[in-house]
Amino acid sequence: MSHTLVSLACHAYGIAAVVYLAYLVRQSDALATAGRVLVGGGLALHGVALFELLGVQSGRPVGLAQGFSALAFLLLAIFLFLDVRYRRPVIGAFLTPLALAALLPGLLMQGGQAPLPPGVRQPLLPLHITLALLGLAAFAVAAGVGVMYVLMERQVKAKRFGLLFSRLPSLEFLDTLNRRLVLWGFLALSITLATGAFFVGTAPGPWTVDGKTLATLVAWAVFAALLVARSVAGWQGRRVAFLTMAGFCLVMVSFLSSYDVPAPSAAMRMP
Amino acid sequence: MELICIGLSHRTAPLTVRERLALPESRQVDVLQRLAQAPVEALWVSTCNRVEVYLFAPNAALARQRALTELQLLGGVEALEHLYEHQGEAALVHLFRVACSLDSMVLGEAQILGQVKDAFERGQGAGAVRGELMRACAAAFSCAKRVRTETAIGRAATSMAAAAVQLASKVFDGLAGKTVLVVGAGEMGELAARHLKQAGALKLYVTNRTLSRAEALAAEVGGQARPFEELLGLVAAADIVVCSTASPVPLFTRDNVGALGRGRRSRPLFMVDLAVPRDIDPAVGTLDWVHAYDVDDIQKFVADNAAARAEEAQKAGVLVAQEVARFVKERALREGTPVLARLRQRAEAIARSEVERTLGALGDGLNDKQRKSIEAMGRAIVNKLLHEPTARLRAVGPEGEGNRLAGAAAELFGLLEEEVGTAAAAPSVMAAPVQAATGGK
Repeated sequence: MSHTLVSLACHAYGIAAVVYLAYLVRQSDALATAGRVLVGGGLALHGVALFELLGVQSGRPVGLAQGFSALAFLLLAIFLFLDVRYRRPVIGAFLTPLALAALLPGLLMQGGQAPLPPGVRQPLLPLHITLALLGLAAFAVAAGVGVMYVLMERQVKAKRFGLLFSRLPSLEFLDTLNRRLVLWGFLALSITLATGAFFVGTAPGPWTVDGKTLATLVAWAVFAALLVARSVAGWQGRRVAFLTMAGFCLVMVSFLSSYDVPAPSAAMRMP
Repeated sequence: MELICIGLSHRTAPLTVRERLALPESRQVDVLQRLAQAPVEALWVSTCNRVEVYLFAPNAALARQRALTELQLLGGVEALEHLYEHQGEAALVHLFRVACSLDSMVLGEAQILGQVKDAFERGQGAGAVRGELMRACAAAFSCAKRVRTETAIGRAATSMAAAAVQLASKVFDGLAGKTVLVVGAGEMGELAARHLKQAGALKLYVTNRTLSRAEALAAEVGGQARPFEELLGLVAAADIVVCSTASPVPLFTRDNVGALGRGRRSRPLFMVDLAVPRDIDPAVGTLDWVHAYDVDDIQKFVADNAAARAEEAQKAGVLVAQEVARFVKERALREGTPVLARLRQRAEAIARSEVERTLGALGDGLNDKQRKSIEAMGRAIVNKLLHEPTARLRAVGPEGEGNRLAGAAAELFGLLEEEVGTAAAAPSVMAAPVQAATGGK
């Protein structure tokens, strides 16, 4: 049931991606509304599927496939919020394909339903995972916005008044949005780290620094440095956009190393 | 006498060449006086996008050669490679199109008409625009007015200043709360200041070498005038800088703007250079936090938007063709039939018709003597009324002032409309005078 719903949502997102790419070429209110409705509808179906799934899993996604699925859901939920709040549908042309890229592995991969080790069965775990995914989604959107910034800055600097120049939002808007998203992502990441540290502290046995922890700590340090550089040294623009992308890659490494990646099997199904 | 136009514009010449021909006003007057030796008339139109010389001369080849020599002296041999030339009616059409902003970088922009009018006044002041060229300019201005009222080209157009505001909106998320500095209180500066203020700029500083001009503009647009000595300090505080000064050397270099980076904490700075020669050294744009655009960049920008205005420009083109045809016909009439003869014919026709109407109303109650008296009275009124203008026109002769007075009389008494109407109904009749007027004689 949930797989069917996610598959339907994936189709809606796919069509929305096409609609938003069409919007990039030909700006029309009808296309923007269609994209919004498709993403909203997809999110509703996707939300029901995730709710159904997580309801039987004590509120936490299990396995990389579900992790990707939840990530795509949160990413598009953030996008829809931004679209309604700022009315810049063109962002959808960059974020819906990104969300699709995150969702497809979830649909292609089967499994990942291994039971959790008893040591980490904590009541705070759903909060830890949700915030981690929310932070990751915020960074994903921030990185997408960073890509838009870099593209737009290139147009502005090179004085190329083509399609991207006329369609992309202003540099200031993109930079401000990046700052807000990174701030929210950083807060989520900090709480994720704090709850993670709490789990480690309460777990029996010695603490060892694994790849996931290291990547997360480095990503946290990168984003902390970025926020400090922004507020103290006035950093902004391209440098910040590239740092956001680098930070997002580190958080992605942390996310991927949280799971044992299963090999694609005969159970692989197309949406 | 024939009209010729020689020039170069943003369409044919790069900024570096146009810069060389961008003369200060005093030098323009010198050139005009050299070119416009009677009976030749000359007009020097110089904007940031074009430099054109219009000559009305009996010997077009000689006048052309002299203009080319001047242009070569000022702009070097390279300038000659970018020149275009129009002659006869084509030159007239070009003048009309320029005044109507149909040849502008931004179709329909309003500044060009003011700039051509300035050139016209300068030409008149230098004694270089006197007779036929003066009438051609007046007709071009009247055509421009018609184009602006009868087409939407003015509404659809984006002026250089508006284009600058639009470009700024690609860097900043709206101009609300932004600090704008306008350097140079000329016409371009004024337009830029108005557009930026309208777009919501919070603070608007105006600076100019002559502080009083900055104060006048600031008062007009609701900004603050600041002394020119504070220039770099003002840039340090600004988000947007628009400059359009007549400075022969760049005001802003990579060094002096780059030195402001630390104090600004690399806050983005959008700089628009509407001046020719440029006020901003191109190297300034290589600073990470500076986005600098010059007039050629703006041309590129507006060229991409031209389609929206093309339709209105087509309508305007039809109006220009009508107005040029009208002017050519008027000129043919001016040169073909003396104004006095036409004035007398017209007055006599009116008198005859009124006398006949009066006699008809009085019926058969009048005898022959009374009838002749009334007819004589009609003729006498015409003669007495026309005596003074006839004497004055004859006294000043057919050239110069006489030409102007004759034109004015023809216009005042509606002789042109009458004849043009007749001519329009029978174009073949007019063909010969039109050729005579445009082909030179």
